Amino acid sequence: MKNARILLVSLLLLLGLASTLPAAEVLPVPEAAVQSPGVEAAGNEQVTTLKLQEETSPDAGTAEVQSPVDESIDNGEIAGDEGPGISDPLAPLNKAMFTVNDKLYFWVLKPVAQGYAYVPEDFRIVFSNIYDNLWAPSRILNNLLQLRLKGAGNELVRFVLNSVVGIAGCGDAARDAFGINKQEADFGQTLGHYGIGHGFYLVLPVFGPSSLRDGVGLIGDQLMYPLTYVGSSHLTLEQKAEIAAHEKVNDTSFRIGDYESFKESAIDPYIAMRDAFVQHRKKKVDESKH
Amino acid sequence: MNFKEELKKKYFVIMSFIICLICPVPVLAGVPLDTVKGHADKVLDVLRDPALKAESAKKTKKEKIRAISENMFDFAELSKRTLANNWKKLNPEQQKEFISLYTSLLEDAYANKILAYRDEKITFTKEVPLSAKTVEVRSTVLRKTTEIPIYYRVIMRDGSWRVYDVVIEGVSLINNYRTQFKEILADKPSESLLETLRKKVGKS
Repeated sequence: MKNARILLVSLLLLLGLASTLPAAEVLPVPEAAVQSPGVEAAGNEQVTTLKLQEETSPDAGTAEVQSPVDESIDNGEIAGDEGPGISDPLAPLNKAMFTVNDKLYFWVLKPVAQGYAYVPEDFRIVFSNIYDNLWAPSRILNNLLQLRLKGAGNELVRFVLNSVVGIAGCGDAARDAFGINKQEADFGQTLGHYGIGHGFYLVLPVFGPSSLRDGVGLIGDQLMYPLTYVGSSHLTLEQKAEIAAHEKVNDTSFRIGDYESFKESAIDPYIAMRDAFVQHRKKKVDESKH
Repeated sequence: MNFKEELKKKYFVIMSFIICLICPVPVLAGVPLDTVKGHADKVLDVLRDPALKAESAKKTKKEKIRAISENMFDFAELSKRTLANNWKKLNPEQQKEFISLYTSLLEDAYANKILAYRDEKITFTKEVPLSAKTVEVRSTVLRKTTEIPIYYRVIMRDGSWRVYDVVIEGVSLINNYRTQFKEILADKPSESLLETLRKKVGKS
């Protein structure tokens, strides 16, 4: 009798688990559920666990009974209160740095990149591939640290293939010939993966929006960057800085206009940038948990 | 023989009934994606039109994009979702003005964002159901050195799928504006939000 009751309870528990599991597994957009929770999150489970809930759950359809207006307000209400945020105790300093970076872009980086863009695109793509290949060790290690073994394996294969077949990473043979796509991963994301929060918002010179956590992440990534370990007899600090600058200019030459259009659409560029940073990084951390 | 024919007839009727039941499903599944893709393609056509590239054609271009986006977006839904609990703080008249101002702001913002990608290849990959009435249509912009994911969130409204949010690289447009509006509304009345919007829209 007692055994039967235990069995029943555990069965119910299992059923309960089973009805939540598919939602967690199948759901490819956890950020969607978190960004606008409430009815939508419920709706997500509704769709993915439709078979399980169809007959058992009488409240599965309540979301649809509500009028669209209520639905959106309720939706928004929750999202509005709990939307991803970040503390910004250094706001005055950050705002100053934001202005510095803004001027740096319009006065230095953009004109330089525009001039540089006269270099034929094919050459610029080759440079981009070489630089990207140099960051592969960091991606491999961070994928490993995040226990994304497939990502780590893909990045390892990409690194070897592109270094050998692609001649030091000039071409992306792994993607073009073998269909192995890049799997981004960085150390800030790894820290986030293990539950470490942003701490507070930081606008870094040149790098732009960041946080205490992601700032540490940048240092971590730098430690996984091969050129860091090239001795000064081969590359002086100055030459390393030149390489980094060229990487930045080369990269910017592909995205002239992005920052302008961002600024054009923003009501308050500082807030818009900070929020975009938080949302974007949240997605990255969420992705690392799959 | 008669019996056999009757059986055949019955079989035919049942089969056609089953086919009718099955067939609309895969067709319906592609509607949100096709709808969004159709609108996005039209916007891109306008942006890519060489005749409209000149600075003098800016107004015509804007009008054309406006006409497309009226069918593409659900601006009332967008407005409500953006302001969230602050929506109720606006009186009906202010709400109406907010929708109209926010509409032009979003049209510009969307055109701006997509304009940056006008020379790139855009592929629509798949749709993911978010709830019973909302779907996320996913697209990717293939740039020379990167890929940019753009997700359109659509809602069923009056028999058609309307966009209520655009998520680029994980950044939701309405969440981004919500944060900005919240900052204004935190210590100022609703009227100053409208004033800020009037200025912003009038300028561009």
